[in-house]
Amino acid sequence: MKFLLDSIQFRSMTRRKVRTKWGAVMFAACACSVMTMAQSGGTALETVQLRPNFYMIGGAGGNIGVQVGSDGVVLVDAGRADRADQVIAAVKKITDKPIRYIINTNADADHVGGNAKVAKAGKTFFDVSGPRSEMAKSMTNGGAAAILAPDQVLSRMSEAVGSAPAFPSEGWPTEAFFQDRKAIYLNHEGIEILRQPDAHSDADSFVFFRGSDVVMAGDVLDTTQFPRIDLAHGGTVQGEIAALNRLMQIAITSIPLVNQEGGTYVISGHGRICDQIDVVDYRDMVVIVRDNVQDLIKQGKTLDQIKAARPAKAYETQYGTVPGSTNAFIEALYKNLTAK
Amino acid sequence: MKIHMPVVLPALLMAVSFVAQPARAEVDLSGSWASTAMGDDILLLTDFTGIPYNEAGRERGLSYSQSQISIPERVCSFYTQTQLFGGPFGLKILKQAGKDGKTTAWVLAGWEDRSPMTIWLDGRPQASASAPHDKTGFTTGQWEGDTLVSYTTHMKSGFIRRNGAPHSDQATMTIHYILHDDLLTLAAMLEDSVYLSEPLYWSRTFRRSRNNVELLDGPCVQGYEGVEEGVVPHYLPGKNPFTDEMAKGYHIPVYASLGGAETMYPEFRKKMKADFIIIDKCTRNCGSRGGPPPGAGGPGGGPGGGPPGGGAGGRGGPPGDRPPGAGPGAGPGRGGPPQ
Repeated sequence: MKFLLDSIQFRSMTRRKVRTKWGAVMFAACACSVMTMAQSGGTALETVQLRPNFYMIGGAGGNIGVQVGSDGVVLVDAGRADRADQVIAAVKKITDKPIRYIINTNADADHVGGNAKVAKAGKTFFDVSGPRSEMAKSMTNGGAAAILAPDQVLSRMSEAVGSAPAFPSEGWPTEAFFQDRKAIYLNHEGIEILRQPDAHSDADSFVFFRGSDVVMAGDVLDTTQFPRIDLAHGGTVQGEIAALNRLMQIAITSIPLVNQEGGTYVISGHGRICDQIDVVDYRDMVVIVRDNVQDLIKQGKTLDQIKAARPAKAYETQYGTVPGSTNAFIEALYKNLTAK
Repeated sequence: MKIHMPVVLPALLMAVSFVAQPARAEVDLSGSWASTAMGDDILLLTDFTGIPYNEAGRERGLSYSQSQISIPERVCSFYTQTQLFGGPFGLKILKQAGKDGKTTAWVLAGWEDRSPMTIWLDGRPQASASAPHDKTGFTTGQWEGDTLVSYTTHMKSGFIRRNGAPHSDQATMTIHYILHDDLLTLAAMLEDSVYLSEPLYWSRTFRRSRNNVELLDGPCVQGYEGVEEGVVPHYLPGKNPFTDEMAKGYHIPVYASLGGAETMYPEFRKKMKADFIIIDKCTRNCGSRGGPPPGAGGPGGGPGGGPPGGGAGGRGGPPGDRPPGAGPGAGPGRGGPPQ
C-alpha cells in the first residue's frame, strides 16, 4: 500500500506544479501495489491489489479474482484442489469477511479443483441453523458458499470418468444456470456472468464486475501460451476469436485522456493482468495465425506440411514456450478450418 | 606477521566496495531540451537494418500492415517509451522532491503520442511479473557518478521503429542520461528475449533550450480510419509487397534490410559489398561521394544516407508520399473478413 500512497502524494504535487494529468504515474504505481504471499507448502501464491476492493491471487492454478465488501467475498474460480488451503489463507489475509460466492469461468481442474474446499471455508447467505433448514443445507452443501456457473460447468464436473464423477459433488455448482447472461449484485456492484459459447471450451464465461471495472476472462485469454482450444469439449477457434472480440468490447481504455493509461482491467486465466490493448494484441495474434493456416490449407497442404511451414513462427518465442502449445494450436486450427 | 584472513578479507572487500562505488553526484536534468535530430520520420516499411532481430521478430515485422494502427482500438494507442528515440519532439524533464528535499523521481514529460516516464529514485522494488503493462512502463533509476541510469520494464508491445518494427511486452530498456554542458545524451539498451537475439543500442542527444518545451498531453478522439471492427490487416508469410522496398531504394541486398544481429556490426559491410549495386548515375538523395553505401548502417543506425529517392532502380519516396499500400481493402494478403 505504501507505493499507492506515495503515488497519490506525488500525483497531487505534480498537478500543483505542472498542472497536467499524471494518471500514468498512478497506473505505474498500481502495477506494484500491494503484494502479499501466502505459503503453506508448495510455491507461494501472489496477491495483487487492483482496486480498493478487488484483488487477484496468482499461482494456485488459474488466476483467481477476489471482490471484497460488506456482503462478504466473491471469488472468481478457486484454483487447483491441492492449492485450496493456500487460497483460503490468502483470502483470510485480505479480509476476515466470509466467502459467499465462487463463480467459475470454465470447468478445468485448475479453475474448479478447489471449489469444494474453498466453498466449505465460506458461508452461504441462507440460514442453515434453524429448525426448517434441511432444504437450505442440501442446496448449499451444508451451508458452504454458493458456487455459480453455467450448466455446462455442472455437466463437465459431474460427467463420469470411469465409475466416478470427474469432480466430487461438493465442488459442483450449486447455482447452475442456462442463460447466456446471469447477473447478481453484491458489495454494491453489479456482477455479470457472460457465457462465451464454444471458445476455449463449451463452458467458458467472463465475469464482469461493473463497479470495480474488472473482467475475469478465464482461459479465453492466456498470456503464457497460444489459446488452448479444447476440441474434445466443444472449443473452436472461431468461438475463441468471437469471445476475444467480445472481451475487447467490454473492456474500455483511456480515451480521450490517453496518457492516464487507466481503463478496465482484464484478468487472464493464466499470466499477467491485462487491459483492452493486450486483448487486441492477443486477438490479432490468433487471427493472423488462423489466416496463415487457412492460406496453407487453400494451397492443399496437409497438417504435417502446415506444421513444418511454421505458420505461427512470429509468435512462437512468446506463446509457444509451453511444450506442445504451438502444435496443439495449429492442430486445433486445422481441424476447425477443415471441418465439414 | 600473521594475517588473519577471516578478518582481513571482509575489511578488504568493504574497502574495495567503497572504491568501486563512484561518488553520487546528482546533476540537475530539469528543464527544456530541444531535439538535435529528427526522429525516424523517414522510414521504409521493411527497413529493419541494424535491428538484431531473431527469426520471430523479423517474421512479425514482415507480417505488419500499416493499417493495423487504424484498428479502432489502436487509433489512440500510441507508442511506448521507445518513442523517445524515434519521435520528433524535444524533452521536458521535471524533478520531483520529497518533503526532505531529496529527489524522489525524475519525470520525462509526455508527448502527444508518448506517456510521461517517471523514473523512481526512492528505492521501490521492481513490479511483479503479474502486474499490468502499459505504454509508460515501470521505471526505476539510480545515479552512477553524475550519470542517471534508468531501467524500464512492464511496457506494452510496441515499435522499435514506426514502420512496424516490433518489440514485445517483455522488452526492457536501460537508459544512461549523460550531461555534457548544454547537451544531454540518452544512451539506451533495449533487450527483448522474444524478438531480439542481442541488445539493441540507441543514442539521442538533446540541447538545453531557453524556450519552454510545451507539454503535449492532449486528448485523443477515436475516428474511423477505414478498418472495420474485427478486421486484422496483415501480410501472409512471404507476401509482403514491400519486403524489397529498402533493397530497391538503396541498392542493397534484401537480406541486409531485414535486420539481424550481424547487421549491427561494421563487418557486415564486407559481407554485403559483393551484393551492393553500384548505379551509373545517382540523381537524388545520393549522400556524399565515395562514402559508404547508404543503408550499410552503424550500430543501431538506420539508413546512412538520406531518404530513399528516385535514383536509378529506386522506387517511390518515403511512406507518406504514396497511398498507404496497406490501406483498407488494398494490397495482397491483407486481412480476412470481419471475425
